[in-house]
Amino acid sequence: MAAQLDQEPLAAAPSRKGLFLGMLQVALSSFGGGMSAWSQRIVVEQRRWMSNESFITGLTVARLFPGPNQINMAVYIGAQFRAFAGAVAAVGGILLVPFSLLMLIGVVYFQFHAAPAVDRVLTGVVAAAAGMALSMGFKILHVYWRDPLALGLAALTFVVLEFKGIGLIPVVLVLGPIAMALYWPRQQRHG
Amino acid sequence: MVDPSSAWDTWLQVVWTFLRLSLFSLGGGNTLLAEYHHLSVERFGWITSSQFADIYALAEAAPGPSSMIVGLLGLGAGWDHGLGWGLLCGVSAEVAVLLPSTVVMVAAALSWNRLKDAPIRTAFERGLGPITLGILFHVGLTVLRTADHSVVAYLVSAVVCALMLFTRISPLYFMAVAGVLGAIGVIPS
Repeated sequence: MAAQLDQEPLAAAPSRKGLFLGMLQVALSSFGGGMSAWSQRIVVEQRRWMSNESFITGLTVARLFPGPNQINMAVYIGAQFRAFAGAVAAVGGILLVPFSLLMLIGVVYFQFHAAPAVDRVLTGVVAAAAGMALSMGFKILHVYWRDPLALGLAALTFVVLEFKGIGLIPVVLVLGPIAMALYWPRQQRHG
Repeated sequence: MVDPSSAWDTWLQVVWTFLRLSLFSLGGGNTLLAEYHHLSVERFGWITSSQFADIYALAEAAPGPSSMIVGLLGLGAGWDHGLGWGLLCGVSAEVAVLLPSTVVMVAAALSWNRLKDAPIRTAFERGLGPITLGILFHVGLTVLRTADHSVVAYLVSAVVCALMLFTRISPLYFMAVAGVLGAIGVIPS
């Protein structure tokens, strides 16, 4: 079915306004979660802006580069058609509604967080959220499980941050290039 | 009560803080959480530690990318100077944290296919993964220490962590159940 979709001609390149509205639709559709599935459905299947293949490439690039994955994906989509202006339009579309809503929640929070009932509920919600934060590392641990070098680098990063009190920026600036050098591919082998 | 000069100072502090951190948000942005906590609570005193934990939970629970927590940190920073400053700092913080990474991402999106076989691409992909892993464990522990102040709270976090790893249930349910537990006083604050 995916191959069939790929054979259909792609639509004309969207304008900045089109990018903004398309990403707005993605944001509104994915209020219950599953943003990347929704953007695939809307961008690839409904609006046919890009092939499924270049969408998947986009997901990889978005994960790899600094920045939130979902926002980077919007940047990737927008940049394909209108470079930086397209990226800004796409990010604006994806952020407008959820960010406004979050700001509203924030205003209500800072106004009322001192109320004891609110505080008690938040104590529970916060404990659950902390569990989610804790799961992030465990979630990707299996990827590196059979790679002692990776585990060593991860442990070193963890120890330096946790016990030496050194900030994130110097740690990444020093350990990042070292890790890249250690993982630099040896080209000759594959000829 | 409002002192505009100090409000501008706060605004500049917010913008500069998030601008310079932007390119260090590896692994989807969550790697910056511990740094956000350190800067906004300990270094600049924009918000208290317990407010940080609350804000983190709100950003996780609200629809949309959870990295929008930056907007709430900005809001908290400007809040003492009034609602207008709060909103200005919130929006500015979000723009500041997204701008540098967006510029880099645009360049990446436009040149990626040409880099397909470049060794730097492989080194980047494989080398930064382990660093991200180490940072995420540090972030997890930092949020845990910030959020939990009782054995029961730690227990709730551990259970949620396990459920996140071994089930596909939406975390919103965990938050809702934990919120009810908190409301009926099971979790001491």
